[in-house]
Amino acid sequence: MSALFDRYDTGDLFDEVFTDDGTVRPHYAGLIDRLSRLSSDDLARRERIRDGIFRTQGITFTVYGDDDGVERTFPMDLLPRIIPADEWATIESGVAQRVTALNRFLEDLYVGEQAALHDGVVPRWLIETADDYAREAFGIPVPHAARCLVSGVDLVRDREGTYRVLEDNLRNPSGISYVLENRAAMTRVLPHAFAEQRVRPVDHYGPMLLKALREVAPPAAGEHPVAVVLTPGVFNSAYFEHAFLARQMGAELVEGRDLVVDEHVVYMRTTQGLKRVDVIYRRIDDAFLDPVVFRPDSALGVPGLLSAARAGNVTIANALGNGVADDKAVYAFVPDLIRFYLGEEPILPNVDTYLLWEADQREMVIDRMAELVVKPVAESGGYGMLIGPHATDEEVEQMRVRVAADPRGYIAQEVVQLSRHPTLMGEAMEGRHVDLRPFAIAGESVEVVPGGLTRVALRKGSLVVNSSQGGGSKDTWVLEEREA
Amino acid sequence: MLARLAENLFWAGRYMERAEDTARMVDVTYHTLLESPYGEVSQSWEQLLEVLHLRAGFGDRPLDRDRVVRFLVAERSNPGSITSSVAKARENTRSVRELVSTELWEHINDLHLALSSRDLSRDLADQPYELFASVRKASMTIYGVASETMPRDDGWRFMALGRLLERAQMICRLIDVRYSQLEDLAGPSRRLAPLGAEIAQGADRTDFHHWMAVLKSASAFEAYRRRYRSSMDPADVVEFLLLDPDLPRSVLFCLTGSMHQLEALREGRPSRAARQLGRAASALRYRDVSELFDVGLHEFLGQVQSELGQVAESIADEFFRHQPSGAMHAIATA
Repeated sequence: MSALFDRYDTGDLFDEVFTDDGTVRPHYAGLIDRLSRLSSDDLARRERIRDGIFRTQGITFTVYGDDDGVERTFPMDLLPRIIPADEWATIESGVAQRVTALNRFLEDLYVGEQAALHDGVVPRWLIETADDYAREAFGIPVPHAARCLVSGVDLVRDREGTYRVLEDNLRNPSGISYVLENRAAMTRVLPHAFAEQRVRPVDHYGPMLLKALREVAPPAAGEHPVAVVLTPGVFNSAYFEHAFLARQMGAELVEGRDLVVDEHVVYMRTTQGLKRVDVIYRRIDDAFLDPVVFRPDSALGVPGLLSAARAGNVTIANALGNGVADDKAVYAFVPDLIRFYLGEEPILPNVDTYLLWEADQREMVIDRMAELVVKPVAESGGYGMLIGPHATDEEVEQMRVRVAADPRGYIAQEVVQLSRHPTLMGEAMEGRHVDLRPFAIAGESVEVVPGGLTRVALRKGSLVVNSSQGGGSKDTWVLEEREA
Repeated sequence: MLARLAENLFWAGRYMERAEDTARMVDVTYHTLLESPYGEVSQSWEQLLEVLHLRAGFGDRPLDRDRVVRFLVAERSNPGSITSSVAKARENTRSVRELVSTELWEHINDLHLALSSRDLSRDLADQPYELFASVRKASMTIYGVASETMPRDDGWRFMALGRLLERAQMICRLIDVRYSQLEDLAGPSRRLAPLGAEIAQGADRTDFHHWMAVLKSASAFEAYRRRYRSSMDPADVVEFLLLDPDLPRSVLFCLTGSMHQLEALREGRPSRAARQLGRAASALRYRDVSELFDVGLHEFLGQVQSELGQVAESIADEFFRHQPSGAMHAIATA
């Protein structure tokens, strides 16, 4: 083995590549062998090729709060993450199971009988106090109950290597463009590495998404429904992805001002007149969709859009009000919802979660806060959370006060020591924490794209992988089943 | 295509052309006046402001060269300045990045960044020629890159249409203002007399310089010399810039080109814009220059400009501003 791994330390953690006794896991053997034979010059050259690819294509995201929104690249590590076929089978069925149950729950909540609330599977008051519980969504059905048309379920691996669900991301999960671009870059930067094993492709995502969007078109749409991607515009942090998806599907990328509603039908303004739109894959938050119903000051949305959806003339994907199930306290009940709606045991477990309105759990959490993770229930992107072991006494104390004042507003979880993966830092490999966001698409059925986005916390020891917080990424390979 | 994107491309074309034409006119005025025998400097700058429809925006400031040049080149608060036009061309292109070639975007972005990063006041004081030349060169590069990298689809056509209509209007204004100036100076009778360089004296010599400046503003001086050989005849200059079917910066050439783009865009549908444009082009195509002077050149140019304004309105109505109600009917899903 070359100098790359000479000083590699797996630590007392689950390492994706090495077992506890330091041997390479079998599904990584070929790749590690090949990489180890590259000189450091060779690696540096490949990093330069990679940087060139990402820079010239403008694959960037915007970080808010920085000086006038600087565009950054989302650095892809040269060493891919590999998932063997049997592990993937578990992830795939677990994610599909979860999304299926959540779709049933949301459809029941907004257009059904709310059976889960009647039967006390989830407390009614908890749902009714969730920020994103959208009364405006009542009575708007979605064909095939595909309310979470795209979900990006975040998975982490604990000390034992068990995959656990961290969040479901049922509103507007982003990152799929990096999955496809990472793969495209990887095949150009390290083409020979693919020779060792058969890696399952990901580039059919665009057609998959388009197929699902057409499947959820309202009956009024007829044989050839027209789908569009609705973006807040060029200044949004994920604009690159919106444009990317529109291109992949051959669909128009529209802004709110390109759409107009007349007699409860949505049209886009083209140079040849108004053209009817049947399905809108929207990448705008609920609150900005329709100024008639939500924020009247929103210039991003389309006046009358909800009335068109309610009249059955257009389908909005993802559906309105999905955020209620993204509430981190509601998340704690998802395993029960799976049992309730599907009659199955959850395939992928949650991370152990404490509900702070329960007096005994709250007291325990306030007591042990320096060992736990505390998160606001309605935030995403890692904003506002406290990682006890990495926090100062003062930060812990402030969180204690906040939790005591608003126990519904927070949850606490045991710290999951995210698995680590060797990552090229300068000229040597070092272990960095990773998670995995597979993407599921629901139309007539639920399908999971093989792999997903592996995010890397580039700062040593950090558990925060969010792109907005200094994360990087890895191409993620799902291996084909070996033929017997 | 989406109406908003088409409109952005149309305006990207207009703004780039406006930036380039402004650079040409400022450059030529600046350098011509260096050799001007008479003290009519402030008047020339005032006329330039009028050509560009920016006289009001300049306000009561003293009409000296440096102030006007800074206003036309670098002033951000002037929507017609070169830096503002380039910034708007860039903004419009940025919002349609998916529809234009990467090379085109990069060149427009480079020009914008170059103008924002350099110290324009110092450059104008120091080396104005280099600054004007760099804008002109960048603009020509941008047009060349667009021409060589963009497929001739609707997006290309809207951009070309914006560019050609803007150019036609700019040339009309240029002729109009220069011509009116001579009329003021000398009265109508003398306007048509040929101005031989060898006999250019006194007022004649001023005229000669004026018309040469007009031709240079349109990059047409050398072509004019080859075509007409003879002396500088104002009637020939007007004919060349207004009625020549082959000069890329003649008004007729621009209108014919616009017509061509519009025909392709309307795909056989009836179009008010095309009718108006066709009428304006015919008025030029079948006209003898001497007739124009009989009608009154100023009136004629005013007529052309007002027709071009109507064409732009009609284009906006027909392609960019569809509303659910009224005459526009929805096209059924294909």
